[in-house]
Amino acid sequence: MSNAIEIERLGYRAGRAFEIKDLDLHVPRGAIYGFLGPNGCGKTTTIRLLLGLLRPLAGRITVLGDAVPRDAARILARVGFVPEQPHLDPILTVRETLAFHAAFYPTWDWPWAERLRGQFQLQDGQPFGRLSKGQKGKLMMLLALAQRPELLVLDEPTDGLDPVVRRDVLSALLEYVAQRQATVFISSHLVHELERFCDWIGVMDQGRLIVELPMERFKNGIKRLRIDGTPATPDNLPFVLLAREPANGTGETWLVREWEPQMAAFFDAYGVSLHQVIDLDLEEGFVELLRTFRGPRA
Amino acid sequence: MFRVMLYSQWKWSRPIVLLGSVAGFALPIVSLQGARGGESSPLEPAELLRTVQSWGVLYPVLAATLGLLVAIATWTPDHRGRHVHALVLPVPRWRYVLLRFGAGAALLAAPIIAVTAGALLATWSAKIPAGLQGYPATLAVRFALAVLVAFSVFFAVSAGTARTAGIILALIGGVILVQILAHVATVDLDLLAKLQLVVLNWPGPLAIFAGRWMLIDV
Repeated sequence: MSNAIEIERLGYRAGRAFEIKDLDLHVPRGAIYGFLGPNGCGKTTTIRLLLGLLRPLAGRITVLGDAVPRDAARILARVGFVPEQPHLDPILTVRETLAFHAAFYPTWDWPWAERLRGQFQLQDGQPFGRLSKGQKGKLMMLLALAQRPELLVLDEPTDGLDPVVRRDVLSALLEYVAQRQATVFISSHLVHELERFCDWIGVMDQGRLIVELPMERFKNGIKRLRIDGTPATPDNLPFVLLAREPANGTGETWLVREWEPQMAAFFDAYGVSLHQVIDLDLEEGFVELLRTFRGPRA
Repeated sequence: MFRVMLYSQWKWSRPIVLLGSVAGFALPIVSLQGARGGESSPLEPAELLRTVQSWGVLYPVLAATLGLLVAIATWTPDHRGRHVHALVLPVPRWRYVLLRFGAGAALLAAPIIAVTAGALLATWSAKIPAGLQGYPATLAVRFALAVLVAFSVFFAVSAGTARTAGIILALIGGVILVQILAHVATVDLDLLAKLQLVVLNWPGPLAIFAGRWMLIDV
């Protein structure tokens, strides 16, 4: 499968405090890729780099087969973008905003834009600057969808929205993806939200990509193991040991990645009894991953 | 694309354009008020020329003000949105800048037409003493050029970041500082006069603003 987004060894620096170094990222075509990370980890900067808004210091970015920033204008005609902060002209009304946006996109779909406007209950004559946060979020999503993009890049699109608005916005997005088989690259720190519909996941922290996996592998592969005793760490582990910590006096809890059920046999051979294998949900997995990345305790 | 850009800028610039048009239309008419006094007290040629010349100072002021305000209004929506919307539109950046410039310049056509109409009406209805002539077309063309020069300069400055504006201000401040230091050290250096000569004398970039702006002249 070819990739809708390919980032190779990307480097970028903003001041002394923040740096993206050797970032590799691959978003398969047709995937809904959840780009996770805590606030300030570099998600928005990465998005700005892949849309050509910022110039990288090193590395290569390809979006929909074209190079960024060289072919940015051609790429942007095929990409719908919802930024973290609404940035539209505050004195234009909803109708005028749609007309302004439509003029730049040859693929703009007016009937669908009208349907979404009705569905989102946006009034034609309301100026953008006087819309509520939820209405602004809906309008931003409408603009991104009605241009019929092949790729949607969404930067925290539901951050700060109430649950009803969030559901409306995400339903419209998923309906479009189902119709068009578009690729979605969605950044968020709301882990539970991405868990419901993403099929790929990338986790970023401190300007680096920690992990990039299909969602199922990520969710099923991170486990908490309860074992007896405190054995020395073996050299030939079949999984990745992220962390180990004492539990219940005599035992230990191991946090592992890339776990498979048949690996339980490893403990028998090692002479350690494995008591329990605990599934982690995406949020727990994400938190543990960040903890171990920031300070390895294994 | 140009149509929506023009409309968006019209919404930001309309008070400026409307006020500028009213002022532009009224200025030539008011400046020739004295020549419309009827048979009872028509102005003497010398007095009329003095009046026209004193009112003429306002044309470059109006042109510069309009250029400045429309240029600021042109970039306001983009500055407010930190240019994100502009940068993610699928057009090359140079084309976007041209669209913004073209829309701003098109909006300035209204005050230019107003000055032309005002100047034509004023000269048509005035009693111009023998030996003097009306130059409404020349004045209108000069006003148009001055407005476009001012708009272009301020458009370029407004397009930049706060850092660009800071650099420009620092340069101006530097020139003034050097001048003050030269004066204190009694060095024979008149930097400001030289700068004025370069900028305001032909073929300086702002030469269009210098000299007399006469609707009626010999």
